[in-house]
Amino acid sequence: MEFKQDRMSRQERMQALYNYQKPDRVPIFEDGNFFCMINVGYRLTDLYSNPQRAFDALIWTCEQYGWEPERHCSSAHAVLGTPDFGGRIKSPESIYSQGLSVEETAVQTEDDVWNLKMPDPKTAGVIPIRMEFSKLEEKAGMPVTFLARSPLCSGAEICGVERFCAWMHKKPELCHRLIRMGMNHTLEALQHWVDTFGAGKVYYQMSSPTESNQVISPKHFQEFALPYHREFHKRLRAMGINQFHFHICGEQNLNLPYLARLAASPDGWPHPSILSFGHEVDITNAAQYFPKDIILGNIEPALFQSGTPQPIYELCRKTIEKGKKIPGGFILAPGCGMPPRAPGYNVWMMTKAVHDFGWYD
Amino acid sequence: MASEQRANEVLKGLCDGVVAFDEETVGKFSKAAVEEGVDAYDAITKGLAHGMGKVGELYAAHEYFVPELLLCADALYVGLDILRPHLKRSDSGKSARRIVLGVAEGDVHDIGKNLVKIMFDAAAWEVYDLGKDVPLGSFVEEQQRTNADVVGVSALMATSMLAMPEVTRMIKTRNPNVVVMLGGAPLTREIARSYGADGYADNAGEAVREAVRLVEVIK
Amino acid sequence: MAHKDRLDALLKCKRLDMVPLYHFMFGFCATNVGYPVASMYNDPQKSFMAQLWTFEQYGIDGGPDYGYASYGGWEFGGEIKFPSSEWQQAPSHGNFVVNSEEDLAKLRLPDVEKAGMLPLAMEFSKLQDKFGKPISIVLGGVFTIAGNICPVEILCRWMIKKPEAAHRLLWLATQHILEVIHHWVNIFGAERVMPNIWEPLAANSMISPKLFQQFVLPYVKEASEKILAMGIKHIYYHICGEQNLNLPYWAQVPMGDPGLVSFGHQVDISTAINYFGDRCIIVGNVDPGVIQSGTPQQVYELCKRCIDKGKRAPRGFMLMSGCEIPPMAPPCNVYMMRKAVDDFGSYD
Repeated sequence: MEFKQDRMSRQERMQALYNYQKPDRVPIFEDGNFFCMINVGYRLTDLYSNPQRAFDALIWTCEQYGWEPERHCSSAHAVLGTPDFGGRIKSPESIYSQGLSVEETAVQTEDDVWNLKMPDPKTAGVIPIRMEFSKLEEKAGMPVTFLARSPLCSGAEICGVERFCAWMHKKPELCHRLIRMGMNHTLEALQHWVDTFGAGKVYYQMSSPTESNQVISPKHFQEFALPYHREFHKRLRAMGINQFHFHICGEQNLNLPYLARLAASPDGWPHPSILSFGHEVDITNAAQYFPKDIILGNIEPALFQSGTPQPIYELCRKTIEKGKKIPGGFILAPGCGMPPRAPGYNVWMMTKAVHDFGWYD
Repeated sequence: MASEQRANEVLKGLCDGVVAFDEETVGKFSKAAVEEGVDAYDAITKGLAHGMGKVGELYAAHEYFVPELLLCADALYVGLDILRPHLKRSDSGKSARRIVLGVAEGDVHDIGKNLVKIMFDAAAWEVYDLGKDVPLGSFVEEQQRTNADVVGVSALMATSMLAMPEVTRMIKTRNPNVVVMLGGAPLTREIARSYGADGYADNAGEAVREAVRLVEVIK
Repeated sequence: MAHKDRLDALLKCKRLDMVPLYHFMFGFCATNVGYPVASMYNDPQKSFMAQLWTFEQYGIDGGPDYGYASYGGWEFGGEIKFPSSEWQQAPSHGNFVVNSEEDLAKLRLPDVEKAGMLPLAMEFSKLQDKFGKPISIVLGGVFTIAGNICPVEILCRWMIKKPEAAHRLLWLATQHILEVIHHWVNIFGAERVMPNIWEPLAANSMISPKLFQQFVLPYVKEASEKILAMGIKHIYYHICGEQNLNLPYWAQVPMGDPGLVSFGHQVDISTAINYFGDRCIIVGNVDPGVIQSGTPQQVYELCKRCIDKGKRAPRGFMLMSGCEIPPMAPPCNVYMMRKAVDDFGSYD
């Protein structure tokens, strides 16, 4: 690996981005920690049960591939709709698994919705494990990450996406109740982070896969997602949290105009925030919608798994060339979770492409 | 019926013949045991197996190596072939221990396993040898079929070693009381333990002692 | 220094910038680039590119190479099975062509242009040539080839009971090695060819030093002398496994100026330097079991110890795993080898 020497430390590079200044080169993020676990020889289940292993895997893999570990795109959610509210999940134990899967949702009937109780924000689900992980981040001088779904996604997780989609049409009041309960639980757990670490250290990450237009229409996005985004950011500001990362997952082109209006308004998120996109959203378009934010993305994860190195390298090159022109700043990353068993050389193509094309001279 | 002195002579001849990998001597004394009424079980355990025990010590001391072990085993089996048919029915209960042996799926290096097999044969265990490159499920099926007390899995390659936690889990899921022992060059006792195994031996001689100890503990 | 320059400098006994990181990985490269493990052995193009890419990623000096430890059986008329399951890492014997003295009597030297893997190896060497890489030919050692033609259990018995049969087999293995290397020299020139000879079966976990001296040493010496007489400058011997008791005999084998000799973790690097350091580049010897099952920190520490011991070897040292890195070794553990060289391997 005979690369040019970095001229900035990792912290300097990210600070430059946050100050709207050009760093020495394009930073690289991984997305999701699954790949890190396998890379180090750990099990995927360790991500949800062994914070020390999860942390070590992240740090070692980031060092190996030249990625930035701070503000990494976590894939281990602190708050999960299913187990937190009483459903059952299954750990990723087979070689074909990537993440947690739902065995039984917490809610299955209308009555379940009305009888649903709020969970304990300190002890529900995997919250204690993620708290241990955050303590390791703090000890290493890193921002402490807290990943949760968007309010709509939290609500949909409680009852299952198919049931939620049906209720959006037939029983919208059930959806609103679930969204509110999911959102409130997330914020209560987040308060636990703020109380433990201080608002200034908390790096809040939100993902919104169920809001993608592969699942819901922009009309439903306006009705069931947008109002809660607005309220959520108001409450984040009230908590004092000013570090935000929004993973706008999947095909969300039809939602972007609404999110852009929110972002530009006083009700939106702080700037710059990091906004990550899947391969479905062109990053130049994304930058036009969100000129004050750092754009992260967006190499299609399936290519790392099944593609060959040269096309991946080419795609990284093109993405870097587009990204370097983004005024708000750019980070190269996969468009969503890196498949845990992606061939290492394919993954390394991001590193190679950044070192060949990603310098700001 | 042989006198005690003559019986001891026969037993010593068997033992020395095995150690000297002298098939002719072992054959001669095995026939003598049969013809002169030396108890077949004693001839096997106090003669042949005793000899293999000494061979194991010579192997551990780096005085004997694989060629010598193989030839000692050839002599041992000459004796076993002659003496086994003369075991009394009541002798079969004296060592009702059974072991399934095999090399893990994906691995064809079986010398180590074969040496272990020899030692268990010499110690009068019933040995069910699955051979090499054994599909993981076959260990489970054979243990069930034979009601074996112990399953021994070996691997020489680091890659096939990775199959061991899985086969250990499969065996233990079906029958938690079966002793699982692992062995092979890339393993250590710590690795075997981390794979869920009950026991480990780093040489063939040690394997039998470890198996006996573990069976007593678990049973 | 560029990777190629580093290896050249080492072979010419020039000053280096840092300890080279050498390779012993095939299936790992396949996994690293998403190819089936078997392709490392049955598809020279894929094997070459998988190694080239992986060596680029990990900063490895030397290679790519082609070969496997079961060499000899297929070439002399037996069968080989390519790895097909997740638990296999290399070709293995399908059957053995010699199982009796009668079979041995019928055994003939194979055609080095057509036998077994040799056409694939030649295709691979042409890629080495095309890409300006060192031309290697990986063969088993005399005893390993013999034990791949005939089950090693039979060979072991023959050494004691029928020594003339064992000698016949070893003589055939020796002649075969010489014919293959001669063929490579004819095509690429002696200056460019570096034979890689792997001798795992002669380890003391198999045979005594006395049998090594009687049955292996004479043939190894003969082969080495004749290989060097062809004009080849450097022979690489992989002295695999527990071979401490054989080292005084190996030390009598000429290997070139310098030769290259690699060891498993069972032979301490300091011991290796005592026996070979004045005339050979020492290569090794990180335990592949630790690379497979250890933590990255454990691998890093182990590499540091190897580098500390080997760095000042008089004719040079290269860090390498003690035997093949398994295909499913955690990649971060392999990276730790690179990191250790970067952190501790500098010659300043």
